[in-house]
Amino acid sequence: MKKNEFLSELRERLTGLSEADLNRSLDYYTEMIDDRMEDGIPEDEAVAEVGTPAVIAEEILKEMPLAKLMKARVKPKRKMTVWEVVLLVLGSPLWLSLLITLFAAVLSLYIALWSVVISLWAVELALAGTALVGVVALPVSLIQGNVWAGIALLGAGIFAAGLCMFGFYGCLYVTKGACLLGKKLFLFVKRCFIRKEAVR
Amino acid sequence: MDIQLKRGLLDVCVLAAIKDEDSYGYQIIKDMKPYVEISESTLYPILRRLEGAELLTVRNAEHNGRLRKYYHITPLGLARIEEFKEEWKELLSIYEFVTKEGVRNEEE
Repeated sequence: MKKNEFLSELRERLTGLSEADLNRSLDYYTEMIDDRMEDGIPEDEAVAEVGTPAVIAEEILKEMPLAKLMKARVKPKRKMTVWEVVLLVLGSPLWLSLLITLFAAVLSLYIALWSVVISLWAVELALAGTALVGVVALPVSLIQGNVWAGIALLGAGIFAAGLCMFGFYGCLYVTKGACLLGKKLFLFVKRCFIRKEAVR
Repeated sequence: MDIQLKRGLLDVCVLAAIKDEDSYGYQIIKDMKPYVEISESTLYPILRRLEGAELLTVRNAEHNGRLRKYYHITPLGLARIEEFKEEWKELLSIYEFVTKEGVRNEEE
């Protein structure tokens, strides 16, 4: 592939980005190819060493903040005709609600994920509380003269303490997993915007 | 290697590559090559990020009738390298502990 082909394909794949962002990326890769060629590497090879436009474009888009990315992807590539605008406005009850539903679905997924984590930690906290009460309850029961109840409470407390320690690692594990899953979900949404472009 | 860890390390490597004198993209990659391989598409976001964090500044300079971007390290960037050296000492002592044979030998 020649340098010009490379650059125009990269430009094509990055359409929608702001002019400044686009030029910055293109300048960077132009310079990289030029410097390689100056080093005595043939043009085709220099371009190949830098990478394929598809991979580079995805890399650049992935680094973009989500808001900027959406703005870039949503921006139409050509001026819309009057009819398209009219249709867009008339159709807004349909596409707007669909869009909101989509966002709500993703958001609820995210919230559901964290509710599981929070409830697990709540159980963990409750177990810790039970363990504490079990220990405190023994002397109180002794003073009240209820020895058996005190021992039973202590037993329950120790049992809860054991479960609590055990559960702690489970909770930690799940929280880490949730963080990862959350990140993946976020990346997935981002990818939806990038992919849409690639398929076209 | 862990991605987060490597990312942080590459940031410092790029700063080190421009520490003594200003450099440009291809030169940075070439200088780093004997130690760590880095691709153009990896370097690009790092440079952007470092510029955003004011650890380096960019200037355009003419070279053979075209513009080339030169990267210059800021005092903040130099401070980051020093910070890294300190962090590394801590990591080294952890490494020493992890790889030591028989943790208790000296006590007995």
